[in-house]
Amino acid sequence: MTPVLVMRDISKSFGGTTALSAFSLTLEPGRIHALVGENGAGKSTLIKTMTGIYQPDSGEIVIDDRPVTFRGTADAQRAGVAAIYQEPMVFPDLSVAENIFISHQDRPKLINWTTMNDEAAAMIARLGVTLDPRRAAAELTLAEQQTVEIARAISLNVRVLIMDEPSASLSDHEVKRLFGIARALRDQGVAVLYISHRLEEIFALADTVTVMRDGKHISTRPVQEVTQASMIAEMVGRDMAGRFAREPSRDTGERLLNVSNLSRSGAFHDVSFHVNRGEIVCFSGLVGARRTDVGLALFGVEPADSGLVELGGQAVVIANPKQAQALGIAYVSEDRRKLGLAMTEGIAANITLPMLGKYAGAFGWLDRMRELADATAFRKQLNIKAANLTVPVGTLSGGNQQKVMLAKWLNTKPRLLIVDEPTRGIDVGAKAEVHQILRSLAAEGVAVVIISSDLPEVLSLADRVLVMREGRIVGEFAGDAATDEAVMRLAVAAEVA
Amino acid sequence: MRISLGTLRIIVLLGVFAATVLFFASQIDGYLNARLFNRISGSVAVIALIAVGQAFVVLTRNIDLSIGSVVGCTAYFTGGILMAYPDLPPLLVPLLAMLIGGIFGALNGFLVARFRLPSIIVTLATLAIFRSILVQSSDGSSITTERLPVWLTSFATQNAFSIGELQMRWIVVISVVVVLVAHVFLTRFRAGRQFFAIGSNPDAAAFAGINAGRTIFLAFVISGALAGLAGFMFLSRFGNITVVAGLGLELKSVGAVVVGGVNIFGGSGNVLGVLIGAALIDVIDTSLVRWELVSEFWREAVLGLLILTAVAADTVLMRRLLKRKTDGGQQ
Repeated sequence: MTPVLVMRDISKSFGGTTALSAFSLTLEPGRIHALVGENGAGKSTLIKTMTGIYQPDSGEIVIDDRPVTFRGTADAQRAGVAAIYQEPMVFPDLSVAENIFISHQDRPKLINWTTMNDEAAAMIARLGVTLDPRRAAAELTLAEQQTVEIARAISLNVRVLIMDEPSASLSDHEVKRLFGIARALRDQGVAVLYISHRLEEIFALADTVTVMRDGKHISTRPVQEVTQASMIAEMVGRDMAGRFAREPSRDTGERLLNVSNLSRSGAFHDVSFHVNRGEIVCFSGLVGARRTDVGLALFGVEPADSGLVELGGQAVVIANPKQAQALGIAYVSEDRRKLGLAMTEGIAANITLPMLGKYAGAFGWLDRMRELADATAFRKQLNIKAANLTVPVGTLSGGNQQKVMLAKWLNTKPRLLIVDEPTRGIDVGAKAEVHQILRSLAAEGVAVVIISSDLPEVLSLADRVLVMREGRIVGEFAGDAATDEAVMRLAVAAEVA
Repeated sequence: MRISLGTLRIIVLLGVFAATVLFFASQIDGYLNARLFNRISGSVAVIALIAVGQAFVVLTRNIDLSIGSVVGCTAYFTGGILMAYPDLPPLLVPLLAMLIGGIFGALNGFLVARFRLPSIIVTLATLAIFRSILVQSSDGSSITTERLPVWLTSFATQNAFSIGELQMRWIVVISVVVVLVAHVFLTRFRAGRQFFAIGSNPDAAAFAGINAGRTIFLAFVISGALAGLAGFMFLSRFGNITVVAGLGLELKSVGAVVVGGVNIFGGSGNVLGVLIGAALIDVIDTSLVRWELVSEFWREAVLGLLILTAVAADTVLMRRLLKRKTDGGQQ
C-alpha cells in the first residue's frame, strides 16, 4: 500500500537533550498505527514535529512521495495532518458548529447559520454520534469536546489523524465510543496514529504497533506478532551502562509515616503505605497514575477526603500546607516554574521564603545577614553554581534550580521530605548530585518519598518501590528486587505473560 | 423553548434599564417626558460608539484605556482643521475624524499585536501620551463654537425624524446604525467570529491557523476609528473643545462593555447588550445630577459600583456553568 506520510530519520534536540534521534515512521491509509513508549520516550516531540509545532533539526517528512516543510499547524492542516489531545483544544464560548468550521478559509465570508449547523450535524453523524451543533463547547463533556475536535479534523479532509492519549480522561463507555470513531475513520481511509499507555487498548484497536525508547525507533510490527510482555520489554530495555549504582539502605526501621486508606474523590483511592526514618520510598507509575495527587494531599495542597495519616505514631489532620510544614513535612514540586520557585527573585530570597518567620525581628524586620548566612551554607552544601546569591533563579540551569528548591525545603528541617520528579529536565551530572543529596538526607534520618517517572532513577534510589495505576497502589517491591520490566508490567496493567 | 445565555442577558439588562428609569421617575418630579429622551439620547449616542469600539478590543482579551484621549484629540484636531478650512464638504468631516482616530488606534494595535505588549500597559501609556499631544498642540487655546461652521454646531441637534415629541437626532441614528452593522459583522461574518475565537482560546486560535495579530490590530483600529467618530459628535455637540475633552470616557466605555455582558476576559458578548449598557450608564449618570437625595459627586462611585456588580454577576454565572460542565464530565 502507498504510505500517506513517511517520517525519515527525524532528529530533534533541545539544548543538550536529544528528544528524537534518527526516528523513522511510515503511516498507511486505512490503518490504525499504535505508538507506545515510556514517559519521556519522545512521543510528544514526535507529534509536535508531525504537526508543525516543532521543526526537525534533520530528516524529512514526506507526504505522497513529496517532501514537505511545516512552518506551523496551519501548514500541517493544509497537508491533511491533524492531532487531538487528552485535553481538547476547543473554543469554549463558540458553538459546536463554529468550533468545527472556524479554520475553514474556503467557506463564504457571510455565515449562514442554518447551513453551517446542518453541515456540522452531518459531520458529527459520520462519527456515529449525535450532538446539538448549536451548543456552546463550554457546556460539553471532555469526550464530546474530543468528538468536536475530531469532526473539525475530518471537515478539513484529514488524511492523518494523531490521537494523543485520547482515552486518558474518559469513562469506559466514552472510550468505546471513541474506538468506534477511530474505526469509522480507518474505514474511510484515514491513517490513524494512536498513542496510549493502556496496552490493552492497542490490542483492541491497532493494526500495527511501533515501540519507541529514548527518542529512537525500536520496532514496528503487526499487532498479531506482539504480546504485552514483548512490548514492555522493548519499552524499558536499556543497557546497563545507563544505570546508576545502588547504595546500601539507611532504613532505621523506625516508622515515621503511616498512611491508611487515603482517598480523594476523582483522584486516588485506598492508598496505604508507610515510610521509615532514613528510608527512601519511590512511587512509580505512568503519567496520570495520580501519584502527584497523593503527594499534594500529604502536603495539604489538595487534602484527602478520607483515610488516616499518622506521623510519628500520632494521627494528624493536614488541611493546608502551613499545617503540613508545622508537622515537619516538606514537598518539592515537579513544577519548578508554577509551584516551586519565584523565578525573578534571588537564591537567598527563594531559600528563606517558607521560613521567613525565622529571620524576622521586631515589626517583621528581616535579618538579611542571617538569611544570607543560611543561603551561603546551603549553596556550599548542595554545590549550587551561581555568580552570587542574588541572581534571579530563573537564569540558573535546571539542575541548580532544583538544588535551590531542595535547599528551600531543607531549610524547614523536615522529618518527611516528598520530592516530585527530582531530576526532570536536568543533566546527568546534576542528576547524580541530586541523588547523592537525597541519599545523605536519608542517612541523616529523614524519611524520603520520591515520585518519579524515571525508572532507572527509581531502581537506583529506592529502598522500596510502590507502583500506582489509575489512583491505586497496585504493587510493592523491595528496592533490590525490583526490575524495570516488573514495575512497568504493573504500571500498564499487563497480565503476567 | 430554550433561551440562550446571550438572549437571557439582554432581557435582564432591559429589565434593569426599565427599573432604573422607573426608579428615577418616582424620585424626580417631571422626570418621564420627551425632553429627557431628547437630552439623554445624544450623549448615549457618543458613549455607545466608543463602547462598541471597546467591545471589539475586549472580545480579543485586550483593553483600550486610551479611548478618552483619542476622543479629545480627534475632536480637537477635526475642529482645528475645520477652522483652517471651513469649506470642507460636510460629508468628508466625520470620515476625516474616523481617519484621525484610526491612526491613534493603529498605533495602539501595532504596539500590542506586533510586540505582544500587554494592552493595559500600552493604552495606559498612550492615554497619557495622546492627552499630552492634545495639551501641547492646543497650547492653551481652545476650539470655540463661534469659530466653527454653523452646519457643524447645529448638526448635533438636527433631527432625522421624530415620533411625536420624541426627536430622533442624526447622531443617534448614526450611532444605532453603527451598532447594528457591528452586530451583523460580529455574528454573521467569518471575519467577525475570529474576534471571539481569539479571546475564547488564544492557543486553539493559533492551532486553527487564525492570524491573531492581524485581528487584534484590527480591533484597535476599529476602536480608534469609532472613538474618532465619537470625537466628531463631541465636537458638534459642545463646540468648545478644551484640553479636558473626553476625559474619563475610558471608564464609561469599559463600564458599558462589561455591564452590557461582554466577558472582560474575552470570547463572549453582544454589542446590542453594549448599547443597552451604554444607555443604562448614561441614564444613571445624568439622572443623579437631578436627584436631590444624593450628591452628584457620587456619580463616579455609582458607576464603579455598577461595574463591580456586573462583573461579579458574570463571574458567578460563569463558575456555575463551568461547575455544571465538570460535574457532567464525571458521570
